[in-house]
Amino acid sequence: MLLSVEGLNVFYGEAIHALRDVSFSVEEGEIVSIIGANGAGKSTLMWTLVGLLKPKSGRILMREKPVRPIPHLSVAAGISLVPERRRLFPHLTVRENLLLGAYLRKDRKGVEEDAERVYQLFPILKERLSQYAGTLSGGQQQMLAIGRALMSRPKVLLLDEPSLGLAPVLVDQVFRAIQDIAASGTTILLVEQNALEALQIAHRAYVLEVGRIVLEGKGKELLNNPIVRAAYLGVAQHTEILLERTNHGESATFEDSPPTTATTAPDSKMFIME
Amino acid sequence: MFIQTIITGLSIGSVYALMAVGYSLVFSVLNFSNFAHGAIITLGAYIAWAVMVHYLQVPFFPALLLSMGGAGILAFLNERIAYSTLRRRRAPSLYLMISAMGVAISLQNLLYATIGAKLYALPPVFAMDVVHIGDLTISKMDIFAFVFSALTIAVLHLILIRTKVGVAIRAAAHDMEMVSVLGVNLDVLVGVLFFLAGSLGGMAGVFMGVKYMVYPSMGWITNKAYIGAVIGGLGSLPGAIVGGLLLGLLEALVSVSSLGGTSLSTYRDVFSFGILVILLIFKPTGFFGRHVEDKL
Repeated sequence: MLLSVEGLNVFYGEAIHALRDVSFSVEEGEIVSIIGANGAGKSTLMWTLVGLLKPKSGRILMREKPVRPIPHLSVAAGISLVPERRRLFPHLTVRENLLLGAYLRKDRKGVEEDAERVYQLFPILKERLSQYAGTLSGGQQQMLAIGRALMSRPKVLLLDEPSLGLAPVLVDQVFRAIQDIAASGTTILLVEQNALEALQIAHRAYVLEVGRIVLEGKGKELLNNPIVRAAYLGVAQHTEILLERTNHGESATFEDSPPTTATTAPDSKMFIME
Repeated sequence: MFIQTIITGLSIGSVYALMAVGYSLVFSVLNFSNFAHGAIITLGAYIAWAVMVHYLQVPFFPALLLSMGGAGILAFLNERIAYSTLRRRRAPSLYLMISAMGVAISLQNLLYATIGAKLYALPPVFAMDVVHIGDLTISKMDIFAFVFSALTIAVLHLILIRTKVGVAIRAAAHDMEMVSVLGVNLDVLVGVLFFLAGSLGGMAGVFMGVKYMVYPSMGWITNKAYIGAVIGGLGSLPGAIVGGLLLGLLEALVSVSSLGGTSLSTYRDVFSFGILVILLIFKPTGFFGRHVEDKL
């Protein structure tokens, strides 16, 4: 097992129990997705995995070795994060941003090779090397954030909402890039609100709800799971349209309406809005 | 006469700049005004006095290096002892500033209690030497202070632009947390930051000591350097340089001016602190402030 997480409990202050007994694992070469609503604890989980948040209990292991929750030690252990909203350094050049990703590495030649690999993945970055990162478009910034995280040559790449704020065309492009990265041997752990894309590319996936893992399975299985469909894939939207039509006096059938659990699923509306 | 005033102003301004850069460096990353910087500068001057006059007769240049190294280490220890715990707990920057004031006052009083309030002179390196260019009589020390301050700031600039840790410092000025997520050990980074700021302060302290005297409350002059940093825009390196030079120039000009037959030289400090108050009303971010341009 490349990354295993055992019984993670994370609190904000005393009162807010953000992650509750979260356990999961990621095998070498896998793409694993964790889907969940806003506030489910996805970003909390990512920040804990890179050592920015200290768990009250539980362990994070890389190849069975415990990783201490300190950011630079997590990077050294092979964990690298593409954070939500990218968090680039806008007043630094594209190249400076990339090289900061390789901060802990001493092998200059290897760093240059990896930079070339990033340019192959995202050719546009090579044209923009001396430009300030703040001048890039949203899609290019996401590419740079992914490239920067790859520069540490991670064993597992964590991606927090890589599709956030991107046009659909760019979302597809980013998800294709993620698959390319996985194909070249980097393990991927992805958290997403965009459940459809996240489940389509995932070998396995987990559903996180209010700090707890409530479901797990193969990506394709979860795509067809009625609860997931209702709560995260916007099937409920269909129901609502139908209901609305009924209200306007049109006839409607409820043949393909989801099971009753669907309408009560948390935050289903949230996803419809997205 | 006018050109001579300009040269004097640039010289003292460059020392202000040297000190202002120390305030700005720390502010850019940790977002607080490190008022202990003045005490570190004073201690730098005392190191020079100790090794050049009191205990040993070390020549000027080695003494300058010792002061820079010593002040750098003291600044590093200052951060480790007084700020690091607050920083790791992500305390509001106001607490860091209050801690800095505590450090400044206790260090100054420590000097009074141990070495005493006496004023000490550093050996008059260059101070008496003058160069004549046409009608101008320029103190060699003024030229030296200007050239060395400029060179040192240029070296600092190169460190920030070319080295890995320098780029990380500039990145941390924007987002310290993200820098740590990329693998940078923040304790080391902040340690380097304080060492750099402290050693620049040590150099400034030596120049001040040669030009004026060495005494416990000489750190007070550094308040003016702080004003320079604010005028330029706290957290901005070019801002600190421009602000320091500008303040030095204006002070020199005010000192030689007169109004209705009365010399304005006694109004010098009224003027420089007055400028601060007025500037904060009209342009609170300074010339290169963070809202106008990116930090550092």
